[in-house]
Amino acid sequence: MKSVLLLLVICGTTPFLSGCWDRIEITDLAIVTAAAIDKKDNDQIELSVQVFIPSSITSGGGQGGSSQGGSGVTTMVRNEKGANISDALSKLQSKLPRKIFWGHCKVFVFGEKLAKKGIQEQLDFLLRHPQPREKANMYVSKGDAKPILESLPPLENYSGEVLRELSDLHIGMLVTMQDLDEMLTGRPQAAAIPIVKILPPAKGQTKLQGIPYIVGTAVFKKDKMTGTMTEKETRGLLWLRDEVESYTVTFQPKGAKGNISLSPVSAKVKIIPQIINEKWKLLVKINTDGAVIQNGTNLNLSNPKSLKAAERAYQKDIEKRIEMAFLHTQDKKADILGLGKDFYRKYPKQFNKVDNHWDEIFAEMEVEVDVAAHIRRQGYINKPAALSEKEVKDK
Amino acid sequence: MIRNMGKLLRKKKEKKSLMQNDYLDSKPSDSLDVNFNQNVETLRSVYDNCSDVMFRSFLLFGKTRAMLIYIAGLSDIEAIEQYVLSPLMQESSKEPQPLHEFIEHKMPVPKVVKVNMVADCIESISSGNPILLYEGESDGFSLGLSKWEKRAIEEPVAEGGVRGSREGFIESLEVNTSQLRRIIKSPALKIQSMKIGTLTRTNVSIAYIDGLADKTLIEEIKTRLERIEIDGILESEYIEEMIEDNPFSPFPQIMSTERPDVACASLLEGRAVILVEGTPFTLIAPISFFSLIQSQEDYAQRFMAGTFIRWLRYFFMGLSLLLPSLYVAILTFHQEAVPTALLLSVAASRESVPFPAIVEALAMEITFEALREAGVRLPKQVGSAVSIVGALVIGQASVQAGLVSAPMVIVVAITGIASFMMPRYIAGIAFRMLRFPMMLLAGTLGLLGIMMGIIAIVIHLCSLRSFGVPYLAPLAPLKGKELKDVLWRAPWWRMDSRPRLTGESNAYRQAPEQSPNPKRGSEEE
Repeated sequence: MKSVLLLLVICGTTPFLSGCWDRIEITDLAIVTAAAIDKKDNDQIELSVQVFIPSSITSGGGQGGSSQGGSGVTTMVRNEKGANISDALSKLQSKLPRKIFWGHCKVFVFGEKLAKKGIQEQLDFLLRHPQPREKANMYVSKGDAKPILESLPPLENYSGEVLRELSDLHIGMLVTMQDLDEMLTGRPQAAAIPIVKILPPAKGQTKLQGIPYIVGTAVFKKDKMTGTMTEKETRGLLWLRDEVESYTVTFQPKGAKGNISLSPVSAKVKIIPQIINEKWKLLVKINTDGAVIQNGTNLNLSNPKSLKAAERAYQKDIEKRIEMAFLHTQDKKADILGLGKDFYRKYPKQFNKVDNHWDEIFAEMEVEVDVAAHIRRQGYINKPAALSEKEVKDK
Repeated sequence: MIRNMGKLLRKKKEKKSLMQNDYLDSKPSDSLDVNFNQNVETLRSVYDNCSDVMFRSFLLFGKTRAMLIYIAGLSDIEAIEQYVLSPLMQESSKEPQPLHEFIEHKMPVPKVVKVNMVADCIESISSGNPILLYEGESDGFSLGLSKWEKRAIEEPVAEGGVRGSREGFIESLEVNTSQLRRIIKSPALKIQSMKIGTLTRTNVSIAYIDGLADKTLIEEIKTRLERIEIDGILESEYIEEMIEDNPFSPFPQIMSTERPDVACASLLEGRAVILVEGTPFTLIAPISFFSLIQSQEDYAQRFMAGTFIRWLRYFFMGLSLLLPSLYVAILTFHQEAVPTALLLSVAASRESVPFPAIVEALAMEITFEALREAGVRLPKQVGSAVSIVGALVIGQASVQAGLVSAPMVIVVAITGIASFMMPRYIAGIAFRMLRFPMMLLAGTLGLLGIMMGIIAIVIHLCSLRSFGVPYLAPLAPLKGKELKDVLWRAPWWRMDSRPRLTGESNAYRQAPEQSPNPKRGSEEE
């Protein structure tokens, strides 16, 4: 009995010896919301962090004093040079009165020069250190990455948030740190990361109020950036990755003047690898439905014939986009779609034989696109607006 | 040092009872004398300096000397006049013989008991039953004519509700047992009485339903009650503390209630009810943890409403225990667990606060507890004003002064509301008390500390027993059939079996398949 109580006392009080050594008050944290890594001369990199300023959103909590409006200065940027991120980080800490906290950093931007040189070394820090989030979004900037952090967008709290929301809309690709890691360590060893640029500020706004936005995709082979894809090609890429969400397809049906715009309502994409007669082929099967959001022609789409014509045009448009995107990746010899994995799953023996020169095989692969495109809905009105009965082509 | 601790832990020697019974019980073994004067003298000496004890001497039928001893405030004076003194004082030539037969069988008094011990006389007089002594008889007669001022039956203050009976127990044991009898009319409802407390001689009754309650349970309760040696029982709480299984647990193992319908519901489940004279709060034993968090209100409404409220209550029960701890733990140790937007707001509001989160939380919680306790004692006129002042003004002012952050005030307010969700005040207090160790654990060890605290509480609850019934039944020894009343409030047509651990002798309380259904209409359908 004696010894049991003694044991309990020791067990009960030892936890308190820890003195709560991991305790950090929020007011002692510098919350990093976005980070940028640039290449500087002499093999050095420059780390810039965007730190949130909490007192900028106090509403009624403080003494009133200097209450800022919604577009006040909510973040500040600090940067520091170093041999690698960890080195720069330790130097950066001396410039900040609070402890740097990566736990909420959801945006990482690599400068263009650094991307061309290779991001593997810096990526190692991000993956290894326990604090940065694996679900953070990765971007490559056109030019230097620091200006992206310095901009003060009018709508969101900080510029990192703008980039994240844009990615969430699936206008460009959405690449998290985890995705990047998988892409680079997997078989293809190629990756695609969205490129961001700053939109110049409108007239009457200060220099710092330009907003960052996504312009296409950067293609990486191994860990070096080898090329870029335009926005149009990026959209084709999104189709292939089955990440199409909300954008508009505008096309002109044959024999009609004007454009029809569709917003894809749903899209099912299946990528089927095939090896037929020793030839490596890729079959892409797409089943997509669209809803008409603008009809600039004089076709009445309730008429089955006109509908078919429009659908055919839709189909051709999608085929063209996808082929263009695919050819571009083949050009760069970068298998950013992870097709190596798909082929390996389906034809393991054959793949193992060609494993070491997969890139060449990939560059010569044929792609066959099979699109079943339907126009399902037409919105609130059937016939094109403001056209009389006679003008509507109803054949 | 260890040796000294050991001394503390060694079994305490059996303490001899230092109670002095002799003086108080006044010759318990003496019997009444044959000599009338001797008896009167004995009783007068016992009630020396008691100016409220009346000694009424008169002549029985004009011939025999008799003495009626009673306490005016405790006996029915009119009945004594009408039914005792009038018939007995009639001058009659024919004195009915034998006298004791007349008194025992022919007096219109509800109860006449022959007593021959002085102790019994004293007990009878103290209970308001007058003692009749007369010459030539060695026995006295205790007449059942007690009557005293009672409170009217009112709605119980602490256990109100929207729907359900509004009657509550009062301080008189007779009225309370009558209330039980009004609801359960079967003679299977047994009520056994005993007196506890050497000075107060409080009447304590155990009510149970024969054939339903476990016999060993009743035996155990009686044993525990009988071994109480105390000078006075003023509240049922005294008894509760003396007979419970684990006095060091913050959770009560005996429930107290002021409502007869709650008491009868427990009786029908095979539990026992202990009624104590002088307090409207009756004790119910054995109970489980879930008896404390269920309320009669749930059963008075439709089962879906009852289920919804029950779930709300469980959720808020968890909140009342854990919310301040979670707030402190997450903000000081696990900042990455909070959504970014929320973290930025909270960080902004904590900018001006000079204290660390744990200190702020403790200070606010203690202030809140103090406010609540003060509110109990406030006179009604001032009560509502002070609560408004306390809650709003102090909270608002301290936020504006920058002493406390606004999220903390919200947390404290929600915790306060949550702790009032418990239908039983005692259970609510248990959680309120446990909140503070949890906050300390959270402030030192973060979420790990909270988990340790929860595990410790759960282990404690699992090991707790109330008169042999496991405290977390039907969850701890898992009884699937009974979960329907714990996890949600099953409709009455589904509750055909009684909880096994208390009502095993008579397992089924209603016929199965009683769901109301148009198909079960009349036969001519």
